Amino acid sequence: MFRNYILIAFRNIRRNWSYTFLNILGLTLGIASCLILFLVVRNELTFDNYKKADRIYRVTWNAIDFNSNISLAVAPKMRAEFPELQVSQVMYNREAMVKIHNQRFKEKDFVIADEYLPQIFDFQWISGDPKTALKEPNAIVLTESIAKKYYGNTDPMGQVINVENQFDAKVTGVIKDLPSNRSVPIQLLLSFETIRNQVKENLNNIYDIGGGFFTFMLLPENYPIKNVQARIPGFMHKNWNLNPKEVRFPLQPLKDVHFDQRYINNVVTPTSRDTYYALFGVALLIIITACINFVNLATAQAIKRAKEVGVRKVLGANRKQLIGQFLGETTVLVLISLVLGIVLASVFLSGSEVWFNTKLDPSQLTQPVVMAYIAGIAITVILIAGLYPAFVQSAFQPVDSLKDKGAQFVKGFTLRKGLVITQFAISQVLIVGTIIVANQMDFFENQDLGFNKDAIVSFNIPNQAKMDVLHQQLVNNPGVEQVTFSNGAPSYNNNASGFTAPDFGITKDDVTEVRFVDENYFDLFGLKVLAGQKVTARAQKDTIITVAVNETLIHKLGITDPAKAIGKHIIINGTNVTISGVVQDFQSESKHKLRRSCVLGYNKPRFFMADVKLRAGSITKTIDQINKSWSALFPDNLFEYKFLDDHIASFYIQEQKEYTAFKFFSCIAIIIGCLGLYGLIMFAAAQRTKEVGIRKVLGAPLISIIGMFSKEFVVLILIAFAVAAPLGYWVMNNWLNNYAYHISIGPGIFVVAIAVSFAIAAITIAYQTLKAARVNPVKSLRSE
Amino acid sequence: MIKITDLEKFYRTEEVETIALNKLSIDVKKGEFVAIMGPSGCGKSTLLNILGMLDDPDGGSYMFNSVEVAHFNERKRADLRKHNIGFVFQSFNLIDELTVFENVELPLIYTGVPSSERVKRVEEVLDKMQIMHRRNHYPQQLSGGQQQRVAIARAVVNKPKLILADEPTGNLDSSNGNDVMELLTDLNEHGTTIIMVTHSEHDARYSHRIIRLLDGQTVMENIMI
Repeated sequence: MFRNYILIAFRNIRRNWSYTFLNILGLTLGIASCLILFLVVRNELTFDNYKKADRIYRVTWNAIDFNSNISLAVAPKMRAEFPELQVSQVMYNREAMVKIHNQRFKEKDFVIADEYLPQIFDFQWISGDPKTALKEPNAIVLTESIAKKYYGNTDPMGQVINVENQFDAKVTGVIKDLPSNRSVPIQLLLSFETIRNQVKENLNNIYDIGGGFFTFMLLPENYPIKNVQARIPGFMHKNWNLNPKEVRFPLQPLKDVHFDQRYINNVVTPTSRDTYYALFGVALLIIITACINFVNLATAQAIKRAKEVGVRKVLGANRKQLIGQFLGETTVLVLISLVLGIVLASVFLSGSEVWFNTKLDPSQLTQPVVMAYIAGIAITVILIAGLYPAFVQSAFQPVDSLKDKGAQFVKGFTLRKGLVITQFAISQVLIVGTIIVANQMDFFENQDLGFNKDAIVSFNIPNQAKMDVLHQQLVNNPGVEQVTFSNGAPSYNNNASGFTAPDFGITKDDVTEVRFVDENYFDLFGLKVLAGQKVTARAQKDTIITVAVNETLIHKLGITDPAKAIGKHIIINGTNVTISGVVQDFQSESKHKLRRSCVLGYNKPRFFMADVKLRAGSITKTIDQINKSWSALFPDNLFEYKFLDDHIASFYIQEQKEYTAFKFFSCIAIIIGCLGLYGLIMFAAAQRTKEVGIRKVLGAPLISIIGMFSKEFVVLILIAFAVAAPLGYWVMNNWLNNYAYHISIGPGIFVVAIAVSFAIAAITIAYQTLKAARVNPVKSLRSE
Repeated sequence: MIKITDLEKFYRTEEVETIALNKLSIDVKKGEFVAIMGPSGCGKSTLLNILGMLDDPDGGSYMFNSVEVAHFNERKRADLRKHNIGFVFQSFNLIDELTVFENVELPLIYTGVPSSERVKRVEEVLDKMQIMHRRNHYPQQLSGGQQQRVAIARAVVNKPKLILADEPTGNLDSSNGNDVMELLTDLNEHGTTIIMVTHSEHDARYSHRIIRLLDGQTVMENIMI
């Protein structure tokens, strides 16, 4: 009997190849998308899944806002006062220059850590002893791929690497590459002892909080975190006289690090779990759309197969056997799609780094969990897609189906309409979502920044003594329009410092950004001066220090009219400064966060960065020339530059990743929906051939025939829109509320969404409708 | 074998009620060959459908082998049908996706006959119907006469006690039609009861008895001599 099911399934596939093709294509895309999204979501939701992750916490700093960085002073004291804990301090550097046999490399993810880190994070050690590898000064541990890159097949252990032209470090261990989902990515790991002398002062100053200074701790097994939390205020007070009402050390579970969006100064920008649940939702919508296609096409075809069902029943088949047969056919189609889907997913995953900025190894597809998930998808799809049509088809009464009356018994038509409405609604929600995300991305990167960012490159100045020479060379370059030196372009997050303003009642430290900029900074970046003057050059020995401040700062002082702020005094880190200018707020951080107070002043010794505005036309050539003169000036260093707009975009890597995923998978969902629509219209055209013939004989013009087919879909699209518009609005409004600054959802977005829906539907049904409408009526009537 | 008493069947639409069978009573004995005749709409096919348990009566009694079957549920009817009744249709009703062999094999699959036994029985019956050489062809590759022979082969492969034939020669030329009638007669001579609906006086003469219907009632019975 089973052989018979399979046999007839294959013959049906061959016979109705166009339906089969639409079904298999839809299911393949659906299954592949579901698999990819599952892996993407799993990758994100299992961030930092170290073996002991449940017991690992990050010690953070919460004064005015939440800071994932904390002073190096904390770890040694904690180790002394909480002997039951393993505590490790980590200094993360985005990149470092290393030299091997005079060959220089810029490497990302350079981390300095003490000997305790390997006891907290379970790295997989290929060589070296985790207990001692980071114990001594000048010891360095490499990841496997870095070791391969430097030494090929030679044993890296004991080899010497020069770091930042400062230390020679001996390789004391090699660990397996870390997966991409780690909050502290590591490529090279230098022992903390190597730099202990350099950070001597940081070790004593609780307020010295460097970017990338993290402290992790590991609880003993079955040890409640409350036991530590309860002792923290006393610990803070005893060691640094900190008042727990002003400062707290929140102990953040490692598993929350990737998701707690209060902390933005992580290495990897935290993201919302909701986003990934939403992506998983998209996966579900995609598979539902594919199943809807299946149900629609199967019930449409049921009419054609009614006779077969009747004959089988007359010959003694009972309902169970027929349901078995139809489910068998669905199984064959689903299994074919599953195989194709897995192949498609693995091809896609090999390029995932390009697509999603996340490395996802296709070999994950063979993991038991993933295989169980694949089996789950298969069974779910077989049941969702197969059961209903099987029940409908097996319910035909033999007498009716043999008389070709089966069609009357397919009550599926109303259901099919419902399903088509669902598909349209899904597409429209996804279209609305994609447009809103696209607008928000544009808003992030391009709008309302408060400064110019086009054709500007940033690079560092390794030696301040050569600044003037560099400046001269840059302004002499005909490809360079303007040059400014500072401690960073407006989008580079800068030093924060405490400030008070006793004249305005601010006596306790508030926080402000402090930027050191030269006299060209305002012009190059186009900062808008609202009152007073821009920052001008100042001799080091000037006693009166003047600064420009932003709007947020004067609002804190209670001043609304910028002109009234000129000449007022504030105290920054104990130094009295005079406000000489007020600048319009600009976006110095990601738009996740509200803008902060900012002070801009002239301080030549603190200019570490050069920003150059390039003339259009010869950008590559100019950068090449800058590279040459820079490298000649600083022969021990590697020239690295970054376009400012790329830097701004880097705030939103996470969003960009999500946006790419949403855009891509929304398209897939829409394509699958179109396949179903195409199948339905194909069926409707075939069903109504005779009607079209009669209408044409009676004089109906082409346009009225097209209208006849289209009318129904117009109504369905409108009904779907009534559901999709409020739903899309609600979902996306919630998403936008994650950002301090965001676009507002206007009616235009919905107009575009419905217009796109109509356009997609029109394109999808155009061919079949025209084909049906243009058939010679004699032919269509004869075929009856 | 079959005894129907006061059998009724109505077809209702919102406005009209049509009486298809009007308190019809008929007796068919085991081994009989009965032809049912009458003008279009007289209730012949309805009667045949009810006899074949493809449709429910609205009233009256239907005894099959002394068992009241008028109100059997679908499962019971399917069960009774597959073990006792074979059908032959005017339009053959072969499954296009299956070969001749597979079409004939189907009733045996549904009655759970083991594979080796199925092959034997299908080959036997194909041989008897002289269609063995076409066993691997699909229905659409056959002539009408050949298709009806396959349909008869399929109807008899389960050795049913009763064959219901609904205008079995309606779609055939006279030569192929005569062949089919010969086959049915032969089956009847070997003990199978046959009830055949027909418009053809010629075909009806192959039967033992002709029941003539009009407006859902028997108007005449002719015993063939």
